[in-house]
Amino acid sequence: MIRFSVLLRAACHLGWFALPLVLNAADLPTLWAERVKSVVAVEYVTETEVDRRPSTATGTVIDANGTIILPTGAIDPRTAMGQLKDFKIYLPGDAVGSKGEYLGQDAYTGWHFVRADAAVRGKLTPITAFAPKDAGREPALAEWVWGIGLRAKDEDFVPYIMQSHMALIQSLPQRTGIAQQDVAAPGLPVFNQDGTFVGLALASFGQSFLQFSRNNRGNPVLLVNVEESSAFTLAPEILPNLGRIPKHVSGRPLAWLGAYGLEPMDREVAKFLNLSAQSGAVVSEVLEGSPAEKAGLRNRDIVLSLDGKPLPQLKPDRVIVGYIEREIERRAPGDAVTLTVLRGTERVELKAVLGEEPKLIREAERKYFERIGVASREFVYGDAIERRVKAIESAGAIVHYVKPSSPAAIAGLRLEDWIKEIDGTEVKTFAAAVARLAEIEKDTVRPEFVMLVSRGGETAVLRVKLK
Amino acid sequence: MSKGFNRLMDAVVRIDVREIAFEAGARRYTASIGSGVIMSADGIVLTNAHVASRRAIELNVTLANLERVSAKLVGWDHWTDLAVLRIDMDEVARRGFKFSHAEFGDSTKLFAGQQVYAVGTPHGLTRTVTRGIVSNPNRYFEDTRGIGGYETGTFNTWLQTDAAINPGNSGGPLVTDDGKVIGISSRGYLGANNLGFAIPSATARAVLERLVRDGGVERSYVGIVPGALQDLENFYALESNRGLLINSVDPGSPAAKAGLRGGDIVLAIDGAKVDGRFPEQLPPIQNLIAGKPVGVRLSLTVKRAAETRDYAVMTEKLESRVGEEWAFEKWGLSVRKVSRAFARENQLDDTSGVVVIGVQPGFPGDVAGVTRGDVILKINQQSIASLEVLKTAHAAYEAKPSPTLLETMRNRRVSLYILKP
Repeated sequence: MIRFSVLLRAACHLGWFALPLVLNAADLPTLWAERVKSVVAVEYVTETEVDRRPSTATGTVIDANGTIILPTGAIDPRTAMGQLKDFKIYLPGDAVGSKGEYLGQDAYTGWHFVRADAAVRGKLTPITAFAPKDAGREPALAEWVWGIGLRAKDEDFVPYIMQSHMALIQSLPQRTGIAQQDVAAPGLPVFNQDGTFVGLALASFGQSFLQFSRNNRGNPVLLVNVEESSAFTLAPEILPNLGRIPKHVSGRPLAWLGAYGLEPMDREVAKFLNLSAQSGAVVSEVLEGSPAEKAGLRNRDIVLSLDGKPLPQLKPDRVIVGYIEREIERRAPGDAVTLTVLRGTERVELKAVLGEEPKLIREAERKYFERIGVASREFVYGDAIERRVKAIESAGAIVHYVKPSSPAAIAGLRLEDWIKEIDGTEVKTFAAAVARLAEIEKDTVRPEFVMLVSRGGETAVLRVKLK
Repeated sequence: MSKGFNRLMDAVVRIDVREIAFEAGARRYTASIGSGVIMSADGIVLTNAHVASRRAIELNVTLANLERVSAKLVGWDHWTDLAVLRIDMDEVARRGFKFSHAEFGDSTKLFAGQQVYAVGTPHGLTRTVTRGIVSNPNRYFEDTRGIGGYETGTFNTWLQTDAAINPGNSGGPLVTDDGKVIGISSRGYLGANNLGFAIPSATARAVLERLVRDGGVERSYVGIVPGALQDLENFYALESNRGLLINSVDPGSPAAKAGLRGGDIVLAIDGAKVDGRFPEQLPPIQNLIAGKPVGVRLSLTVKRAAETRDYAVMTEKLESRVGEEWAFEKWGLSVRKVSRAFARENQLDDTSGVVVIGVQPGFPGDVAGVTRGDVILKINQQSIASLEVLKTAHAAYEAKPSPTLLETMRNRRVSLYILKP
């Protein structure tokens, strides 16, 4: 015992940055050279009505077909599929890049899948090559870990090493490791001393700082490092899901329950409701026509368990919402899930058969009218929910983009306006709105037209002067 | 100066107000200064609603002789930003004070360029006279912020003047050379030069009478939000200077129930033709509707596309979106009752519940996680139909603190919280 403590103190004395002695100085460059082949930079363009915005993200190779996964935040969820263009894959240190194909997003893991061109596949090594022998093993506290970062495009995405020690492992709800310092770029792998894959870096958590200036004595600010992260999902949560490559670019099929606004409860509330050692989530609203409604779920029901498994008490409280959502997303439409809910003082058991998620905003049809200066998109289920109207009775067109200083902008048209009437004629379908606007767009003689739009529960009559 | 002007000077007062504020999650007291003008021999003082509100707990009036006497709130109308006080006449008699009272002039006869004076207490400088002209006798502006959250300016246009109007001038008179009150100074544009606004005497005179008689002004509401027709006559195939454009209809309002909707044109109200071509013409039409008795059937002649027909709309009582306020100090929460207008605007099912307007840090409400803007719907699973429900629960908590369950809603999301001693 005494000897152990002495050794530990000696290790501390060397400092955290010293490499453990078990790793030979010669080993790391070898491990590095092999593992750098598992990472790439992905560039794509978001093409909107008026501009093209390039973005880059970092990703990890998962199989021999050149499939790459990008983290959830790599692509803005509001972007329509059709707006994502020109995917390019860059190997670390590569100045040219090669063609890539976007395969879609998996709802359960949140990953975006991209496939590299056949020509470069040979230069890539899937991360599974470094998978641990003991699949369930988690890194130990203070264990030394290292990962890869990539510099920006102007530096040819040159790879560099980051290293740290394990500080904490949390269930969020996935098992998540947090290192003492940034250890990898978001979406890139983290390894241990023998080069075994131990996790995939998440988007960085924010860090609180105080900002001092001449006039301000310490304003709290939250800084988020977008290039490097100290948080990573552990390998046992990653490896079993690598097969979830979307069958369709939309990510469908998508399982849907239709319990809107799940809100967590803190331990005080759980205690008050006599829930010992478990948690619950309040269902704010049961959506119209949803599987939840068909199963008999009601507004304000408190979900206590899924398939008989009580909801765990996770920290922070909010994590329970992600837990339930993942439990749904893990399943497929047609699957059944049994919910136990607390309704008043009574426990009720419900069986829901999951449905297919209604069309999402990013899947909605869109059309841009250059001269009028407006892009409109199809009214979808989510629009009805947001506007608190009945989805079955509602349709039409939503303003998706207003070109600055265009006739539409001058008339006062705003984003998310719901076009109810054009020239006094009710807009019943998106197709009707498009036909009407196309006609107006083409007519170069017409001096103006009038729209009735709805915003925030109010309407407004707008006169669009075309000349 | 004229005899009339001298007499006016003897009628202008400074008003010192101490009022209760609920916003901090507790009762707090604030002090402010404004102006007013005595309008009758029995001590009726006209001022702004944002000077002397229902929250006032102490009102002191400084007369022309610089002596202070106390006063009481008689009536209050935030829609026109007017309030009426009565000076404590017993005190005046006991202390042997004298004052004169002012007279109204006719604001409808004013012209741009006419010389006017503002008298009041800018920045606490008692009895300050500033001079200017009428810049525009019929100014329309949309007021989205209101006064302390209360809606204002819907039913009248304003007098615009370049006579300097600063904070503290509020409630003081705007007068012509002869000392006749043609407006009540009310507001200025911050950061602008000499853009001051007053409530015209035509409005003030009518509202004063109602406030003295009833303590308030009852108005009718139908739920129409008008827009100026401007150049849209051609589109709607209307003759010029005819019709009021309905820009929006409040959901659930009498107009909505009658089947009216945005884009409709009101041609006549109870047979009287209306003309809402310009924004300046909208407040008088709003006032016409508001002036109808509550609970009567109005006949609106409405044009929709090629069809014109009459719609019967039942008027209901106009209410503010701001409900009654209260502070629950043991919880560190101040709240405002959900009003009918608030419920409509926020698409709530009904008017039960209260909106949290203040949270005191470190108190049970804050510790539980309640934030400003949350709507508390239930307490210990009991629906909050009135403030009394909460007051009872708070009294029980005060007597014997025990964990109390709140159900709140924010952006349609329902949360549960425990207020813990």
